[in-house]
This record gives sequence, structure tokens and C-alpha cells, in this order.
Amino acid sequence: MSIEKYKIVEGQVKVTYELALGRTWSHFYDCFKEGKIMGTRCRKCSRVLVPPRSFCPRCFEDMDEWVEVSDEGIIETWVYVNMPFFAQETKIPFISAQIRLDGCDSGFTHIVGGVDMSDLDKVRAAVKLGGRVKAVWSREKKGSIRDIEYFEPVK
Amino acid sequence: MRKVAITHVAQSSGAESRESLMDFTYKVNKEILDKAGLKREEVGCIIAGSADIFHSGLSCANAYDWDGIGAFMKEGSRAEESVFSFIYGCMRIMSGRYDTVLVTAIVKGSENPDNDPITCFYGDPFYLRPLGINESSVAAMQMRQYMNRYGVTEEQCAKVAVKNLGNALFNPYAHVKKRVGLEDVMRSRRLYDPLKEMECAPKSDGVVAVLIASEEKAKELTATPAWLKGYGCSMDYFNPGDRDLLNGQLKAAAARAYKMAGIRNPEKNIDVAEICEPYAFQELIWCEQLGFCNEGQGGELIDSGITEMDGSLPVNPSGGVLATNPYPARGLYRVAEAALQIKGQAGEHQVGKKVKTALAHSTHGFGGQCHSVVILSA
Amino acid sequence: MGKSVAIIGTGQTRHGRRQDVCYPDLVKEAVEAALEDAGITLKDVDGVVLGTMPSMMEGVSSTHFYFAEAMGSVGKPVLKVETCGSTGQSIGHCGFFWASSGMADIVLVVGSEKMSEGDGQATMNTVFDPFFQRTFAAGAPGVFTMQSMEWMYRFKIPEDKGREAAAMISVSNHDNAMDNPHAHIRTRVTMDDVKNARIITYPVRLLDVCPASDGACAVIFASGDKAKKICKKPAWVKGIGFRGEEFFYGESDKAIWMSATEAAKEAYSQAGIKDPLKELDVAEVYNPFTYQEMIFYECFGFCPRGKAPDYVLKGTFKKGGRLPCGPSGGTLCTNPIGATGLIRMAEAALQVTGKAGARQVEGAKLALSHAMGGVDQFNGVTILGSEQ
Ligand SMILES: [Zn+2]
Repeated sequence: MSIEKYKIVEGQVKVTYELALGRTWSHFYDCFKEGKIMGTRCRKCSRVLVPPRSFCPRCFEDMDEWVEVSDEGIIETWVYVNMPFFAQETKIPFISAQIRLDGCDSGFTHIVGGVDMSDLDKVRAAVKLGGRVKAVWSREKKGSIRDIEYFEPVK
Repeated sequence: MRKVAITHVAQSSGAESRESLMDFTYKVNKEILDKAGLKREEVGCIIAGSADIFHSGLSCANAYDWDGIGAFMKEGSRAEESVFSFIYGCMRIMSGRYDTVLVTAIVKGSENPDNDPITCFYGDPFYLRPLGINESSVAAMQMRQYMNRYGVTEEQCAKVAVKNLGNALFNPYAHVKKRVGLEDVMRSRRLYDPLKEMECAPKSDGVVAVLIASEEKAKELTATPAWLKGYGCSMDYFNPGDRDLLNGQLKAAAARAYKMAGIRNPEKNIDVAEICEPYAFQELIWCEQLGFCNEGQGGELIDSGITEMDGSLPVNPSGGVLATNPYPARGLYRVAEAALQIKGQAGEHQVGKKVKTALAHSTHGFGGQCHSVVILSA
Repeated sequence: MGKSVAIIGTGQTRHGRRQDVCYPDLVKEAVEAALEDAGITLKDVDGVVLGTMPSMMEGVSSTHFYFAEAMGSVGKPVLKVETCGSTGQSIGHCGFFWASSGMADIVLVVGSEKMSEGDGQATMNTVFDPFFQRTFAAGAPGVFTMQSMEWMYRFKIPEDKGREAAAMISVSNHDNAMDNPHAHIRTRVTMDDVKNARIITYPVRLLDVCPASDGACAVIFASGDKAKKICKKPAWVKGIGFRGEEFFYGESDKAIWMSATEAAKEAYSQAGIKDPLKELDVAEVYNPFTYQEMIFYECFGFCPRGKAPDYVLKGTFKKGGRLPCGPSGGTLCTNPIGATGLIRMAEAALQVTGKAGARQVEGAKLALSHAMGGVDQFNGVTILGSEQ
């Protein structure tokens, strides 16, 4: 038996989900519509987490105290993404970042925008670790992560 | 080998939940720790039972599960089928390294695609899947063969659904709560003839947590431990066409569990059984293979009433999988229910007789490709 | 305590792009090699553990069904254990516990991946939650880059120094892979090649990153008594540790990386290791990214925090150095994800039993193996030794 070329079957799979955000995360996005970023505070370790949690993963206690955090913060770390892949939700190139919002104890993942993306050196001049950024809210808010268009370096 | 016991059980309400999967998970885990009077930090290790993307829309399900099961910075792992998770947790105690293990199984069926498109992906991409084979279609073929080979009737198969959905009316944690008669089942839609709609399990939301402990610790934590006495598991060939669908690996799995537990006459020695019957007739076949009756006698078994809640060998007093089917979690539900029967804490669905030994069974795959059997005792 | 446990055989496929075999046949190749290495047959195996990446990567769900024959599990008990990228370590740990519990004497553990058939980065993205982070995620490179940047910033590591050390890691892993007949990428690279390679996610370049490989690995665990009876030179499991931190990336400090630090600490305490740099003879660190490998060195106590680049530049972790890391060429040259963590364990076993051929570290007696999974969430460590 000789095989000239091994056969390949191409396939794509699509299935649909209806994923519940539940009480805590629904409230978080309701507040987005008013331009507010809300976190929850743990009564035991007193950390404030964004996204808010209904319980503290460390203390394993309910977290029902809501705290408004700033829509401004510092960049903990960032990445310039220029790698395309299937089902990517944000168009490349983009800058993904961890932002420590003022009044919050965890990093909030979002994108940094409002900078010249045409070359990497310009990006590196504008986006700095430890640099301050502020949310740019979209005009029409729908209660989703996209209600913040991006975070912009504070001049 | 170190002794292992189930000390506590907690489960979510049977209703569909609009809570996020993370919060849904947390509530049940918080409840079981409170019941046991343990802090998260005091638990030895934590094992999740959950399936990935098709059952949650998330890959590497354990990543998302981790917070809700209380596993932050703890030793832990995840097994896909929840009875796998259970026995893996037991092994960790037997190894002498842990005194307590929390095992949690999780799924929100209400958010997922239906069972049929999901089980379709068990099929290989070149042969079975293009043919549209799924768990239900293989089950229907198995049912036709069963009726044909042994003369079991469609009505006898349908009776399983009547019995189990009837039992579910007494179980506050059951999903489907509907009083049904034989006619209702027989007249329900023929989705995969000869299988009818009411003979197929729904898809459900469910979190179930089981706390297991070493002998010393178990005695400290509860007055009513349910001891692990036996375990057996066996895997069959992949292609349904390569096997006799009416003579699979359950006998081998049961033989292992019975040997370990010292059970010679299962029909007499076992007081109650929680059996995984995603399709009504399967309860009959599995009962035969577990040795509750002779080969081909499943129809007579259900007719005799022995497996009713007040019979001599009640099967699925909880309502079984036909009432509640959180797919990857359903195996641990069987174990949890068997433990509750032993502990005498099954409430309204506690069986009439005194329970000393209980059997829990789990299966998944086409026509029952893999079976696990757990024996618990007082 | 439960029974002591040893590894009595390992097997690997030829890793790479394997369109010459279907997925189950790839698995079978590793299983047969492991059985042959252990000198046993399937009849001797009491149970089988399988782990792969999730269904989205596999294109088939619940692969323990599909691989039933290939992994020799028909008529046997199975367990399917998975923890994302750390799966390879987790299934090894499961093999350990199964044999240690007394429920089985011999356990076959199988990890596999056919990366060429699926989409690794799209799969990684679905590990992120669908409500907050998935939208801006950029697969594994995005996350690892953010982590590396944070680490360099925290410890004030000059960019040039980090770049130089990372390039050196790439060069030495590629050199090592030349000695490993199983490795996927077997080409030598120079420092300049690495530094001038295409940018993937700044500052990470193509040669800082692992390939996507097809491959499988099988490892056979036996209870101590059994191992002594049937194996001349088993590799003893001395210590295991596994830790996971919070799900959301950003909640815990990834420059310090608690899960990696604590998993190693746990394994060390079981193995009685106090000074890893001195006591360990070889390490197989999970290194899909050069920069990240340096963070692991620090978490595992091979050097002080922030000092990994200095140690790397001194040649501490190179072949012939004080603690050779990745003599197999590591994850950087071979990455069939579901198998990768188990390959690290198999390579460590080969080293402490003197069976590693051209990549043998002379006289190795104590070895560390490791894998990482999730969005920087999980770390598993196993210490193997030549003495019980
Ligand atoms: Zn807290």
C-alpha cells in the first residue's frame, strides 16, 4: 500500500450559548450605562475587586459591599497585539493592558487607545508601565465591556 | 488501604438559575463547608468535576471553576466525569496525604446547547460524526435491539419514566417535576423512535458537592458517615459497531466494585441504587447487568414493583437522571443521593427500608461506553 | 502514609507535524513505546489516565472515548484529568495517587495533542471569561508578554539585559534540542537570529516562542513494591505540588507568581530539598516563552528575585552549568500542549535513570519537572529521584 498524499478533512464547528452574568455582574454593567465602574469590597481582607465578585476567592466570604472606583488608573502592564487569530474579537493591532484603577486592588483588563499605532516606537513613547490612563466612554452605552471604548494616556 | 467516607453533601436547587456559573458554584460550596464547620483553608484538597467548552462555553473549565470551588492556592485538580472526580478524591485520601477532600461537580445546562449536539462531538470527525450519530440515536438503536432480543415491551421501558418522575416529586433538588402516567410517556413525541421525548433526560443546571474524609476525620465530622466500600470502572470499544450494545462493560465495572466490597448477591446485599439512566430503558438493562435480575428480565423487574420507592430494591428514589440531568455532574449526584440514603437524610424521598448498603452508578458515552460503580455503606 | 511510587517506563512519539498518522494512532505510538520501555504488556496495566487540551483544541470532545483502543484502556478503569496547560503534570500526579492509594499497582498515564489540526490561540482565548476579558485577550503570547513586562518593570531589569538573557535561553534550548531525537524544532539559532526575529507581541519575537506540535507521551507509574520487582532502575516520585490562583488575570501578582512559588515549595518540602540550586541536578521547566522561563527560575528558588537574567548570562542553566535546564530542548522546541507537562516528567525520569542518551546530564540523581496552565493560573511541579 502506498499513499501519495495523506487526506485532511476540513471542518468548522459552531454552537451557541446563553451565558448568565447573574446578579453581581448584571449590576456592574447596569452601572456602566451611567458611566460608573463599580467594584465589591471583601469585609475580611478589605480588597476591592473589579470585575466585582459576589464572593472573595481568597476568604471565601460573601462580597456584598459595593464601591465605586475611579475610571482612571495606572498601567500595570501592557502588550502590543499584532497577531491575528480565529474569532478574535478586537481588530489588530491593539494594545491590551492591565489597569490598576484608583481605589481598586486588582488589575482591570481593557485596551489602551488614542495613541498613534502606526509604529511601535511611537506606541512605546506613549504607553508606559506605571503611566496614568483614563477611560474614554462611548456615547451610546449598552451595558457591556465596550461601553468604555478604550483607556487613554493622561497628558 | 485507608478507609474513606462521605461526611457531607450539598446540592443546588433543581430549578434553572440565572446566577452566573461562578456564583452558582460558590453557593453550594459555601453551604457544604458551613455544614461541616470547616473553613476553606482547612480542607486538604479540592477536585472539580466539570466538562469543558461544550458544557460551559469556556475552555479548560477548571480555570473558571477554581474560585467558586474554593480552591485558591490549594492543592487540587479536575476530572471530566464527576464520578472520576469522586474516586480521584478518594485516592488522594487513601494515599495518606490528605484527611479531607472536597469534590464538586458543576454545570449549567440551561446555558448550553442541547445534549444531542454536544454528544455528537464524541464521534470521530471522519466516520461517526458526519453520520449524525449522537448519544440519543445510539440509545434508540440499543433500545430496539433490547426489545427485540428479550421481548421487553415499549410500555415496560416507559414505566421507568413514570416511576422516576414520580419519585422526583418528593425530591426538592429535582429539576423536572411533573406527574406523568404511562399514556403520557407513550404518547410523547417520538424523537428517536422507539425512544420517546419523555424517556430522554432533560438538560439541567446543577452543582453538587461532596465532602470526603479519612476514617479518623470522618468520625470527627459526622455521626453518619457513608463509607466507600467498593469501586469499579470499565471502558468499552469506541465504535458502537465494534461491541454488543446489550453486553457492554457494566458487568466488568460492577464485578470490580462487588469484589472490593465483598458483595456476592447484589440483589440481596444492596438496599438502594441510584442508577444513571439518561434514557428510560437503560435503567432496565443496567439493572440486569448489575445483577439485580437475570439477563432479559428487566421488563419483569419493573413490572414487579421491586424497584419502586417502597420496594425491596428501590432504584432512583431521587428521580434519577430522567428528572435531573446536569450532564457531567450527574454521576456525582448519584453518589451524593446514595450517601444521603445511608445517612438517612434524603427527606421525603428517603426509602422505606433501612439502608445499610447503597449503589451509585454513572455512565457516559455512546450506548454506555464507560461505566463506573460505587458502593457505599453505613 | 500511602505507598511509595515510581516511574518504570516512558514513551514519546516523534513530535512535530504528524499528518502521517490520525490522532488515535499518534497516542498509540507513545503508549507502545512506554510499554516497551517498561518491559510490560497491556495485561499488566490496572488503570489508564488520559489528559489532553479541551475539546475546542481537539475537535473531538471527551477524547477518552475516541482513544479507548489507542491507549489500551478497553476493559480497564480510566480517569480523565485535565487542567489546561498544566494537564501533563496533573495526569502524572493522578497516576501517582492512583498507585499510591493501593487501588492499582500499575497505572498508564497518557497525554497528547495534535496542534496542527486545531487552533491553539483561538482555544486559549476561550479560557478567558466571556463577560470581561475575552474581548481583549490575545491568546497565550499576549498574556505572557504582559507578565514578562510587569516582571522586568518590577525588578528594574533593563530591557537590553532582559533581551540578551532571553535570547540566550532560546539559543541554548535550540542547541539542546539537537540532542533530542523526539524534538520538533531541530535547528540551531544564533543570538542575532533571536534578536532579529519577527515580533509576535512586543518584546517577544518568533524565536522566543514555542512551536505548535503534534505529539504524545506516555508514562507508567507503579507502586514501590511492584516497581522494585519488575524494574531495574525506576525513577522515584519524591515530591509533588500543584497550586492555582484566582481565575481573573490581574487579581494576583504575576511578577511574584504565587502558584509557581508555592507548588515548588510544596514539592521541595516533600522531597526534603532546602537549596534547590545546589541539590537539584537537572530541571525540565515548562518554557513556552523565553522571558517567562526566567520568572520560573526565580519562583523555584534557583536564584533571587529579579536576578534570573544575571544567572542566565553567567551560564548557570546551560548544559554543563550549575543547574542545566531543559536538556531536552524544552517546551520552546516541542509543544504538544496536553502532552508537554508529561514530557517534562518523562525527560526528568530519563535523566535520573541515566537513560537520556545524548542529552544526559552526567550523574543526574535529582530532577525537577514542571508545567503551567490556564491564564497564568496553575502550576504543577514533580521532583523525581534515582533513590527511593
Ligand atoms: Zn477577602
